[in-house]
Amino acid sequence: MVNLLYCELLKLKRSKMLLISFLGALVTPVMMIASAVKMHYSRPDIIITLANLYDDCSLYTMLLFGVIVYVVIAAYLFSREYTEKTLKTILTVPVSKLTFIISKFIMLFLWIIVLTLISWVSMFILATLYKAIFGLSEFSIAVAIKYLGEMLLGGILMFLTISPFAFLAVWTKGLVVPIIAAAAITMGNVALSNEALGALYPWTASYMLVRGDIAQTGYPYPLSIGLIAIVSIFGFFASVVYFKREDVK
Amino acid sequence: MENVIETIGLTKQYGTQLGVDNLSLHIPQGKIYGLLGRNGAGKTTAMRMMLNLIRPTSGRVLLLGKDYIKQPDSIYRKIGSLIEAPGFYENLTGQENLQILARLRGQYDKNSITHTLEVVGLDKETNKIFSNYSMGMKQRLGIAAAIMHDPELLILDEPINGLDPIGIHEIRKFLLTLCREKGVSILLSSHVLDEIEQLCDIIGVMHEGRLIEEVDMMELRGRNRQYIDFFVSDINAAALLLEQQFNCMDYTVSADKLIRLHSCIDKRGEINRCFVESGILVTQISIYTEKLEDYFSDLIGGGGIG
Repeated sequence: MVNLLYCELLKLKRSKMLLISFLGALVTPVMMIASAVKMHYSRPDIIITLANLYDDCSLYTMLLFGVIVYVVIAAYLFSREYTEKTLKTILTVPVSKLTFIISKFIMLFLWIIVLTLISWVSMFILATLYKAIFGLSEFSIAVAIKYLGEMLLGGILMFLTISPFAFLAVWTKGLVVPIIAAAAITMGNVALSNEALGALYPWTASYMLVRGDIAQTGYPYPLSIGLIAIVSIFGFFASVVYFKREDVK
Repeated sequence: MENVIETIGLTKQYGTQLGVDNLSLHIPQGKIYGLLGRNGAGKTTAMRMMLNLIRPTSGRVLLLGKDYIKQPDSIYRKIGSLIEAPGFYENLTGQENLQILARLRGQYDKNSITHTLEVVGLDKETNKIFSNYSMGMKQRLGIAAAIMHDPELLILDEPINGLDPIGIHEIRKFLLTLCREKGVSILLSSHVLDEIEQLCDIIGVMHEGRLIEEVDMMELRGRNRQYIDFFVSDINAAALLLEQQFNCMDYTVSADKLIRLHSCIDKRGEINRCFVESGILVTQISIYTEKLEDYFSDLIGGGGIG
């Protein structure tokens, strides 16, 4: 498994996807700061805090931009083995199909966590700059650390709810279908983010769980957690079963 | 172990179509076995089943004397393969691609990779990434991946595809050396009959998923007959002379005044003189040896390999 993970990392050498994903992780913090600067001039009466910035960063990452970026990464990791016709080369080494697909999921998890850390660090650096120029209330390391925990938990939940998209990538052997599906899921997030029903929509429920908003919806925590678990298990199970049974062409 | 590959009733069905139909191949140790067949004959499907890339509908495969389903790890580490166009990571160099395979095999050795790249002639452009490789370079890297771990058995599907004539010659020489000097057994398929003829000890001919014939090349060469074509002015008179003067019945005639003799080859001088003295004008005499292509066409009917 260590060798497989090392090889997964090596496969990313010179890959544009790595740079694109890092830039993707920077988009939300940059947008949050841009929004704060606009607010500073248009509504100087409103006090902006570090917690506000991290809250919004978390919201947009988990419900909008992060979903798309992470699905693109998942689809790239899984589908490139088909598009570059490398499966026949790797599997005849031999590498077991189960080990291979598990290594892909571990790689996806690590990638999501790294991007989460990049978002958190870049948000903190940009907030520090903002504080130096415009001033920022309640700015402290303790606040940032609290949000690090939240963002990492969010990253883990996003990894779990992205597994069905990995299955779509394995099934369709391309990027297009998973990305279209991710766009549809994101629309659902937009529609349900302020609704109680969001607790029943696994991708919105993940965000509500991190924010501790499930209780306000009236739905029990176990129901939301159960739905997230069902979606996640379906994604992993379908990916593994399909990949194991499928002929390599 | 007598056979390095043995398939027993190997079958692959796609819906109602049989891709491979009850295939029973026997590939002996230390030999080069050529699999011949037109496009869609089932060669690649059969090779994929041998490599556990496709699940057979029925039948068994024994590799190096063992059932590959039971001991895939120990068996496949002794096998090198190249199936159709080689698949490698496009953003990596040849060396990095081979490094991945070596690490997955748990046998990473930088020197061994460098040596393998030298063997296939890819040691000059080490910084070039795979997506910038020419077709011939890609094929060479595929061969490098197949041989880098010193396998006992090579399964190569169209190994000379995309290679230039010098490359073909080099790879042919290399495969022959591997087999004759290191005892590596090789199963290969090729569209180029000439290559099969020059390389292989045994050939198996597949058609519509079935194995039609397995034949030793020595036996085939012995079977191949010579024939002479006479282009004459009077085909009936020539045929009569052949039968009466030379007792030669093994001939065929065609409308364009061609008479083809399959026997009496050593009497061609006398036959020619006899024709001329009898007033038959001989415009052309040619001597031919039947080649693998003729044998192949006779066996499966129709044109050459697709």
